[in-house]
Amino acid sequence: MMKPSFFASASALCLGLVLAIGVGSEANAAAKCIKGDRKAPYTIGWANIYSVPTWMKQTQGTIEAEVETLKKQGLVDKLVVTDAQGDANVQIQQIQSMIDSDVDAIILIAGSSTAPARVIADACAKGIAIINFDSLVDTDQVTAKVNTDSSQWGDQAAKFLIDAIGGKGKILILNGPAGVSVSDDRRKGADAELKAHPDVTVLAETNTPYNVAPAQEAVTSLLFANPEIDGILSLGGALSAGAVLALDKQGRDQVPITGENARQFLELWKEKGLKSWATMQPNWLGAFAAYTAVQALEGKDVPAFVKIPLPVIDNSNIDEYLARAKDFPADGYIYSPYDEELFKKLLAQK
Amino acid sequence: MSTVSSARPAVALYWPVQARRNIGVRSLFVVVLAFLIAYGFLFPGLFSASGFAKFTQSWFPLALVAMAQAILMLTGGISLAIGATVSLGAVIAATTMAGPLGVTGGAAAVALTGLGIGAATGFIVVRLRLPAIVVTLAGSFIIGGAALLILPRPGGAIPEWLSDLLAGDTPTAFVLLIVIVLLWKLYLATPLGLSLYAAGENPVGAYRSGVPVDAARVAAYAISGLLSTGAGLFVAAQTGSGDPVIGAAFTLNSIAAAVLGGIGFLGGQGTMRGALAGSLLLSLMISVMFFLGFTPVAQYVAQGLIIIGAVAIPQFRKVQQ
Repeated sequence: MMKPSFFASASALCLGLVLAIGVGSEANAAAKCIKGDRKAPYTIGWANIYSVPTWMKQTQGTIEAEVETLKKQGLVDKLVVTDAQGDANVQIQQIQSMIDSDVDAIILIAGSSTAPARVIADACAKGIAIINFDSLVDTDQVTAKVNTDSSQWGDQAAKFLIDAIGGKGKILILNGPAGVSVSDDRRKGADAELKAHPDVTVLAETNTPYNVAPAQEAVTSLLFANPEIDGILSLGGALSAGAVLALDKQGRDQVPITGENARQFLELWKEKGLKSWATMQPNWLGAFAAYTAVQALEGKDVPAFVKIPLPVIDNSNIDEYLARAKDFPADGYIYSPYDEELFKKLLAQK
Repeated sequence: MSTVSSARPAVALYWPVQARRNIGVRSLFVVVLAFLIAYGFLFPGLFSASGFAKFTQSWFPLALVAMAQAILMLTGGISLAIGATVSLGAVIAATTMAGPLGVTGGAAAVALTGLGIGAATGFIVVRLRLPAIVVTLAGSFIIGGAALLILPRPGGAIPEWLSDLLAGDTPTAFVLLIVIVLLWKLYLATPLGLSLYAAGENPVGAYRSGVPVDAARVAAYAISGLLSTGAGLFVAAQTGSGDPVIGAAFTLNSIAAAVLGGIGFLGGQGTMRGALAGSLLLSLMISVMFFLGFTPVAQYVAQGLIIIGAVAIPQFRKVQQ
């Protein structure tokens, strides 16, 4: 571990860059993209892909709260926010504008897993800390990527559902939009379990946006076509709430279903007495990204990939989540609690 | 037009005619110029080679799709499939260029696909007399589906040198745009190009005067398809890869740019320079508002106001006259 960091120091010095940090502590190599020439207080750019969905608003809420904390510590002086309105090309242009205006850090949710790669590499080359979370970009030219494991998401959901229906039966699979990496990865993650249980028949699959109404519509039409359904493998967002409502409106019995921490779904879960399982993409990934960006700029080494363990909600702890429901928007997501201690622990893991 | 017999008056007429064609979009030009100056003031780096290059690169694909939409609208058509066609162009480029076909083969595949899709759409709309809006809406599902079949999730690759050439620190994109505009001028001088406006403004009258109306309209669709897949190729080069849904927003933006540029929905009205200025304004607004420090919500409002303003000013003048 020592030798590579000597090499890193030597090459950094060759580039004529300041390497004041890490002298006092044990040889602490700077994180990727960091050149050490940027000083606090920092300007953070938050390159949002789409600000309208409630999940995004809540995520932005955690970022703003974190930035307020960092401002009080004198580490950050400004948060610049852009919204690409769902257009990956606009997001590229906005990241370019952030580079042009010389922000110190960019945190982003990518609108495409490939499109921003080149503009991000440009930013990295200019010494801007890049923290990419939630929807990731296929590039290593970033300071750190932060995410839960989508494939594990699908795997654990499939495991729960197949158990819940006793290892055999007819199921529906509800996916997010087609051509989107997260939705694709969750679906692929479920494959192994489905293959291992040949008695589980997949009746149909849907691709809808992560919203209640389109999912409800899609499931309703599937209910007409399929009189017998034993379980629903829902892979995210508010899809599960849509499915539960569709079953309810048609007067059909509820079946085991997987889901996410959407408040509406958790409340339906309790109300209908479902046997269910849910995980989440915690909104505080945003706050954590802002925190990590500042840590990296301050010269701390941060892991290239921070894997966030999936919090699980099941019948044993759903009440704890519902007890906090009033603090969250009616169509929002009840995320697990977080604090700086948790962030430190996540950054310390290797 | 027929009274002009000698060449000299025709040349003398050229600039006054062009000036008259600018009347509807003069206020747009002023707005665009104001934004350009504001941008240059807020971001002096714009005047460096790489700053200018990056700025024109963000504008370039939008300029191409604005042209693609404008050609169709000039003939009285419209396309809701432009976004999907851009995506298809991008995924074809990203899956062929790094393979055995190479850049030349890949570019040819992209061009032929665009021409083919455009010609087929045009043939269905023109020969079967079906409404363009319905045919292209259906077409957008087919083309978008084809893009997802070729590349189910973002991936593929574009040779690094091509990305650096088209979307690096040199203003290649801007040079390309100038070439394309010159080609458009050239096309307008050919019989098919001359028929374009006539076929859009008064198809029956044009047909009776011996103008090849159907051929002009089918050709317009083919060119539109070519420009759209070309924009896709550029986006793939700019991003270094393919994404099967990258073009989605271009459909609406192309219509917005064309309408902002004074192109009428009924055909035969408007100019290409208007559509280009419209697309430039849409692209400029994003960067200028960023540098002005507008919050996203304020940006929505400001964008709407600017668009309404740019479209409404010439109308006010007409009403006053």
